[in-house]
Amino acid sequence: MNKIKNTSFYYGFVFTILLSFMITITGYSQNDQFPITLIDDSGFEIMIPEEPQRIISAAPSNTEIIFSLGLEDKLVGRSEFCNFPEMAKSIESIGKMSPLNLEKIVSLDPDLILSYGGFQLKDIPRLRELGFKVLVVQSETLPEMIQGIQLIANACGIQEKGNALTSLMQERIDRISTQIMASFVRQKPKVFVGSNFDTIYSPGKNTLFHELITMAGGENIVGHLQGWAKINPELVTQKEPDIIIIPSGIMNPEEISKIKQDIINHPGWSHIPAIKNNQIYAVNEDLFYRAGPRLVDGLELLYEIFTGKK
Amino acid sequence: MKYLLEKNNKNLYGYPNWRYKAFFVLIFGFLSILIIGFIGLNFGTISIQPQKILSILWHYETDDSLGIIIWQLRIPRLIMAMLTGMTLAGVGGAFQGILRNPLADPYILGVSAGAALGACTGIALQYTTGLYLINLLPLFALVGAFVSISLVYLLSRKKSHFPMTDLLLAGVAVNFFFSALITLLLAISNREIHSMIFWLMGDLSNANWQKISWVFLPVFIGSLLLIFSSLELNAMALGEEEALHLGIQTEKLRLKIFLIGSIMIAIVVSFTGLIGFVGLVIPHIARLLVGPDHRVMLPVSALIGAAFLILCDTIARTIIAPTEIPIGAITAIIGAPLFIHLLKRRNDNNEY
Repeated sequence: MNKIKNTSFYYGFVFTILLSFMITITGYSQNDQFPITLIDDSGFEIMIPEEPQRIISAAPSNTEIIFSLGLEDKLVGRSEFCNFPEMAKSIESIGKMSPLNLEKIVSLDPDLILSYGGFQLKDIPRLRELGFKVLVVQSETLPEMIQGIQLIANACGIQEKGNALTSLMQERIDRISTQIMASFVRQKPKVFVGSNFDTIYSPGKNTLFHELITMAGGENIVGHLQGWAKINPELVTQKEPDIIIIPSGIMNPEEISKIKQDIINHPGWSHIPAIKNNQIYAVNEDLFYRAGPRLVDGLELLYEIFTGKK
Repeated sequence: MKYLLEKNNKNLYGYPNWRYKAFFVLIFGFLSILIIGFIGLNFGTISIQPQKILSILWHYETDDSLGIIIWQLRIPRLIMAMLTGMTLAGVGGAFQGILRNPLADPYILGVSAGAALGACTGIALQYTTGLYLINLLPLFALVGAFVSISLVYLLSRKKSHFPMTDLLLAGVAVNFFFSALITLLLAISNREIHSMIFWLMGDLSNANWQKISWVFLPVFIGSLLLIFSSLELNAMALGEEEALHLGIQTEKLRLKIFLIGSIMIAIVVSFTGLIGFVGLVIPHIARLLVGPDHRVMLPVSALIGAAFLILCDTIARTIIAPTEIPIGAITAIIGAPLFIHLLKRRNDNNEY
């Protein structure tokens, strides 16, 4: 009698464990967050019926976000310009960012397309007409980029992972701003971003670069201008920047030393403190142009440059 | 009047057998467009077996991704290229006729610059105001085109007269002015410059059935009206005075062709952007092939234009796939050498 009771107890125990195991498995495979309705950065309401399994990222910033969220296994297509992280290059390219190659996109049969608004906006109605789910993630500022990461995380059903990643980033940003607050007596360095190409473009108001310079405790000498503005070399002569930043795509030492030499020899710039004190830094432009997770790296890099730690 | 001209003075124009010529040339033209169209269907970023394409076409398979590629992407694009090529080449031929100028093209009378300015303004507004205007770009282009058409009309009309030189000069002047405004817009813009330049170079990648349905009817009616004016255009080829003596109201004819052609171009260009060279070169090729009789030359020009643009678009979307080249670049790269070659040949058989 006692023995029978024991066995039935034993079977019941095994059964319960199996059942709970099965519930965990089924619960895991059927993400209960779906269907989910989101509003993307173009103000469009998009309904995602189930967890996306085939994602196309049509912009380098979105590709970086996908990788930082650990969703790279679901990425089936990326734009030609997605060069970071290195693994992104092994994913099939869908060509240039604009105009989007619709045929290639259709053939990859995606269930979520992450677009960068801007010049892709004209292709998006066509993609939606063909029945694709297109999420526009277009960030113009650092906080918007963090929201963008959260938006992509929500669309892919990994809200918590998104929360964790964004709060980590926010911490890094906050750390820098508290450090700047603590040392407020220090004079802000005057910063000039640009290079000695025939026409000098420099980032003014409403650019990510300007935002990062300001957040890292610098003063952008073209902060009064709007957007990426064409700069007259005389402006640099007059503003006398303390630090010159050269955003560069090709991080080749010879190329960079040549650009630096050009800047040092630029007529009318010899009296500038940045040149006298050799405060010229070449930085990877992708850290400042792309509204992706590496913006925070860019912020930290600028902070190090401004505080003389680099 | 037309009837009399045709019945009694048939030989005045010197084209006695035009009906047979037209018939054979048109049949040949339609067949070659079908063949070139099918060849175009076979090329693309994704390679699909010709047998598979035939079965997709035959069974009207639209559900799987290959079906979508054929029925929703390649065919609409092909038809759009065809309609655009037809319009540009046909209107180009007619404009060369009314202006009696071999260098005339559909863009010479200012329509294109107006449309381009309209579209670029739309793109600039999209970025500066943040409004969602992308779907309305064709409307912006159309409004711009109509502004330039009315401007050219008002500038070239002298009381009740409508002289040729004034029309041409007004067109060129409006063109220059609007182009200058576009340059200005490009100079002060930064992020939107990419979209603007792509529009200016022509882009068929967004063709869909709805756009085709909007373009088709105006192009069809306009083409018929142009072809029905061929006899008067033939008379015009003899010279303005000679045409007047034959009872053609040359100024009315010019106004009519200018308006019909410009409206057709405005509608097409609003959807496709500026595709150059087709309207200039193709009428010359048609003239070399079938002679200067507009009754044959205009339809042939339209057919060759259609085939040429299908070919160029196929090249544009496949040559460095998955990246696409703006079609305007291809038409000019192929069109310019062809045009130079024709100019050289024209010196030998001295006809325009």
